[in-house]
Amino acid sequence: MAEDAFESEALSYIDALYRTALRMTRSEADAEDLVQETYIRALRFREQFTPGTNLKAWLFRILTNTFINAYRKRSRQPQTAELDDVDEFSLYRRMSQETGSNSSDPEKEFLDGIVSSEVKEALAALPEKFRTTVLLDVEGFSYKEIAEMVGVPIGTVMSRLHRGRKFLQQRLFDLARERGIAALRTSGPRPD
Amino acid sequence: MDCDDCLEKLYAFLDQELGSNERKQVASHLEGCTDCGDNLAFEERFLKVIRDCGTSDVAPAELRRRIAERLRTEVPPTTA
Repeated sequence: MAEDAFESEALSYIDALYRTALRMTRSEADAEDLVQETYIRALRFREQFTPGTNLKAWLFRILTNTFINAYRKRSRQPQTAELDDVDEFSLYRRMSQETGSNSSDPEKEFLDGIVSSEVKEALAALPEKFRTTVLLDVEGFSYKEIAEMVGVPIGTVMSRLHRGRKFLQQRLFDLARERGIAALRTSGPRPD
Repeated sequence: MDCDDCLEKLYAFLDQELGSNERKQVASHLEGCTDCGDNLAFEERFLKVIRDCGTSDVAPAELRRRIAERLRTEVPPTTA
């Protein structure tokens, strides 16, 4: 790959790298440092990149490794108790069970009502154990690519994605109830 | 394949990560099961919302400028 092509393609992934770094570190200043460090390392080790292979995946591998080595301890937060139940949570089932709904299609109303800021909040709130895997999935990487970046078997990626997505569903469901969307408004008090 | 098997493979199906045999089995079950089909449609739309909203941020302009400058000026490692 010509030098200028490497540079311009590398720069085209800055938005994806930044938003992933932002949710990994939960800090704008740390996200900027992490992205800058990622590019410095990419330049330093660019000879190790094989032209014609996936540059985006290569940059994300550097980002993930840098985060794991340097930032993770700083951004660690206590695990939340709600994780214990997250595996079994099915938003689809939960929506189907809603009674007294005044919407003919509560699932649609729920999905249409989700706002971007809530999704970002829910992604950043993911427990660290699943967060990186889910963030890499959101950026479009395959199970195999994620497994290689995070350094775990594909089965672990699948399990983390499953639990991470259920966590997001539960979180967004709770936020929707707090917001009081019409489909959920008449369904009584929120269960603990 | 029953509904439990289908639900277990739902995400891998949506993520295009199943082998062709398993994919056919799930597709065949979905054809005859409205509930699993509705569940699949819901999960598919949910994942799309997450991806659409989760990929909408852009890097700060100053960071982009700084890194673009660095990429332009950094001397690449010499090659033989």
